Amino acid sequence: MTSLIQTWKALREKGIMGINQRNADYILKYNNRRLYPLVDDKILTKQKAIEAGIHVPELYGIVRTEHDIAQIGTILNNHRDFVIKPAQGSGGDGITVIADRYDEQRFKTVSGRLITLPEIEYQLSNIITGLYSLGGMRDSAIIEYRVKPDPIFKSISFEGVPDIRIIVLMGYPVMAMLRLPTRQSNGKANLHQGAIGVGIDLSTGRTLNGTWLNEKIDRHPDTDNHVSGIILPDWQKFMHLAASCYELVGLGYIGVDLVLDQEKGPLILEINARPGLNIQIANDTGLYQRTSKVEAHLAKQKSAGLKDSIEQRILFSQQNFAIKS
Amino acid sequence: MRSLSIHLKILIAIFLLLGLTIIGYQIVVLKTPVTEKQVDDLWTIDAKISFDVRGTKPVKVQFYIPPKLEPYTIANELFLAKNYGQIIDESQLDSRHVTWSARKITGKQTLYYRLNLTKRHNDEKATLSNSKGITWREPIAIKGPDQLAVDALVNEIRSKSSNIATFISTAINLINDNNNDNVNLLLGNNRTIENKAKVIELVLSHAYIPIQKVYTLKLVNSGVQTPSLWIRSYYVDANKKADNSNELVGEWHYFNTQTGNIGLPNDEIVWWIGDNNVLSVDNGINSQVTFSMQKSELTALSLAKLSSANSQGDYSFYSLPLTTQSAYKIMLMIPFGVLIILLLRNIVGINTLGTFTPVLVALAFRETGLYFGLIFFSIIVAIGLSLRSYLEHLKLQMLPRLSIVLTFVVLLIIFVGLFSHKLGFDQGLSITLFPMVILTMTIERLSITWEERGGAFAFRVAIGTLVTASMAYAVMGFEPFTYFVFTFPAILLILIAFMLAMGRYRGYRLTELFRFKALLS
Repeated sequence: MTSLIQTWKALREKGIMGINQRNADYILKYNNRRLYPLVDDKILTKQKAIEAGIHVPELYGIVRTEHDIAQIGTILNNHRDFVIKPAQGSGGDGITVIADRYDEQRFKTVSGRLITLPEIEYQLSNIITGLYSLGGMRDSAIIEYRVKPDPIFKSISFEGVPDIRIIVLMGYPVMAMLRLPTRQSNGKANLHQGAIGVGIDLSTGRTLNGTWLNEKIDRHPDTDNHVSGIILPDWQKFMHLAASCYELVGLGYIGVDLVLDQEKGPLILEINARPGLNIQIANDTGLYQRTSKVEAHLAKQKSAGLKDSIEQRILFSQQNFAIKS
Repeated sequence: MRSLSIHLKILIAIFLLLGLTIIGYQIVVLKTPVTEKQVDDLWTIDAKISFDVRGTKPVKVQFYIPPKLEPYTIANELFLAKNYGQIIDESQLDSRHVTWSARKITGKQTLYYRLNLTKRHNDEKATLSNSKGITWREPIAIKGPDQLAVDALVNEIRSKSSNIATFISTAINLINDNNNDNVNLLLGNNRTIENKAKVIELVLSHAYIPIQKVYTLKLVNSGVQTPSLWIRSYYVDANKKADNSNELVGEWHYFNTQTGNIGLPNDEIVWWIGDNNVLSVDNGINSQVTFSMQKSELTALSLAKLSSANSQGDYSFYSLPLTTQSAYKIMLMIPFGVLIILLLRNIVGINTLGTFTPVLVALAFRETGLYFGLIFFSIIVAIGLSLRSYLEHLKLQMLPRLSIVLTFVVLLIIFVGLFSHKLGFDQGLSITLFPMVILTMTIERLSITWEERGGAFAFRVAIGTLVTASMAYAVMGFEPFTYFVFTFPAILLILIAFMLAMGRYRGYRLTELFRFKALLS
């Protein structure tokens, strides 16, 4: 019992945010429920992002009805590789990644399996009848650009595409994490399924130590390479994209998921209105420790009648949350 | 944010103050007992009389009410018949009836009679009744084959019995024997208890033994009950004759019409005696009586007396009809089940299926019993989920797949119920509509959780749901506590205050202390 109380106090001291605190003080306070559809439906997010000129994977086409499935041939005509995913899916279910075209009727997946056009049509019909959406509601399928992960990640990930999660409070990036797929997570960058989370220094884009299923680790279990000390290229652009998502969707407390494409650089994949708390273990830092600083700064700005621009917000975060190496 | 928290604090203070004041008033001013002391059983029996009147007519209702027979005493009785004149006729021994009459009555009518009974302690050996009955009667006239059958039966009984008591017992046993041709001839095809009693009376009349029909209710905490039929006869007990040599003391003896056993058990109370129906309504149609019964303790009696003393300003639940009372008792406990779930979810951090499902499961446990319910739920949910994961291979759409699972669950419940019945566990049959609906709902929600968050998480959620449901069940069924809540419902206001405060709880959950432990090393 006393050790529990000590643990409690120690966590408080480190500024670790718990679920109750996140729900009461951040999600309920900063996120207007009315705006949730903007982030829950990936088509809406994408459209808003394109309007605002924010970089997202290029949209090849949307399949909304059974009738649309017949047109899939024309949508796919000009593309050798692409991704099919449900607009309102979760946890990476129902995503098909096509790496190359084999001939007119057949395609190759990333793992090298051949898949025919009728199989793709069946997959599309599954998506739109709601097989992968929450509660079985009707859904739409998105066909979009296939992200080719930057070679920098080759040594520290297993299949799949690593992504970068940045928590943004009122437009101020507060914490970032690189998520690396493992054999256990089946190539998915989902921490619940066994992917690794690696903390990132906001000021330099340098990776820190990692977390794997609530434990701290420092090497990738599949490749055995150290995950720390890697400088992510284009880091300022990542920060800029994440910070601009506040203006994009109007939600005050979000987790922005980004990827680093070999050719197109940083792209926004999706936005999460209820970001998880494991990012704290990856960074070995409490979220509340940082969010309280941002809130204090916001209060000061408000009383002075000022409003920070995106650049000023990024500067604030990088000055205040830098990690000394 | 600041103003919001002040607003909230004021609200919490108001609810807290209101709740405490009302409870304090009940304890200090009304002197309501805080705990339920086990003094003696108090039985409350409600008779609900209903009938329809076509048009507007004068109506006369005759209703038998229990005679004042030992060993029970009537603590008080209550007649609820607005707009009716009321006469209670106690002129005959061993029989009382109330007559309600009114000149102009229209439409559906409902009258209530409530009786509070307690057992009399002091004289244990009290006889049931002091009235005297006749000891001889004329045979009921019959003809032809019936006469022959009765004669044969009387002879058979006489050869198997030694005195009046054994004669009557033997007669009852014979009438209940399905293979006796004479009996079958007399009964015809009608094997109801009423008809058997009639035949018993006929056979006994040919031995010159008079009997009376007695209708009784059993004192069990059962809710609705129908009266059961006994017979009684007045005769001089041969064994008792030695006591008082000069005088022949007759006594009423009661016989079970099913088994022929002599003597009325202590928990049977006589409601009325004789051949008449318990209720007769002039100018009424569809008349019917339902009896319901409930046990409480004597401290509750003082409460009931208190409430009847100042009945105009009284809102205590104890003055409500019994069936409503027991429904309210369950309902009032539901918020406390919800409280347990709130605590376990937000402070401990156990994952459960939704907020309300564990409470519903706990309510279902009330019908099945905790241990049987736990085992039964686990088995059915496990089978349901494994079926679901098999169906996943068939690549079916979500809705048809769920429908298949739910249909299967219904079949499973029926199968397990029958199977456990065969093995001698009757709880299997207690899976009625309510637990079944909850079970199917649980499986559906669990399947969705499985889809969205994976099997391991679904398993954790299922365990969490069962744990919280068991705890909610334990709290909701804790007797002294249910008494307290039912007697002091204002405690719910305090509960609201607490829940409001919980709404702004921002501390860690217990499970998070373990989850984030890695951060402290």
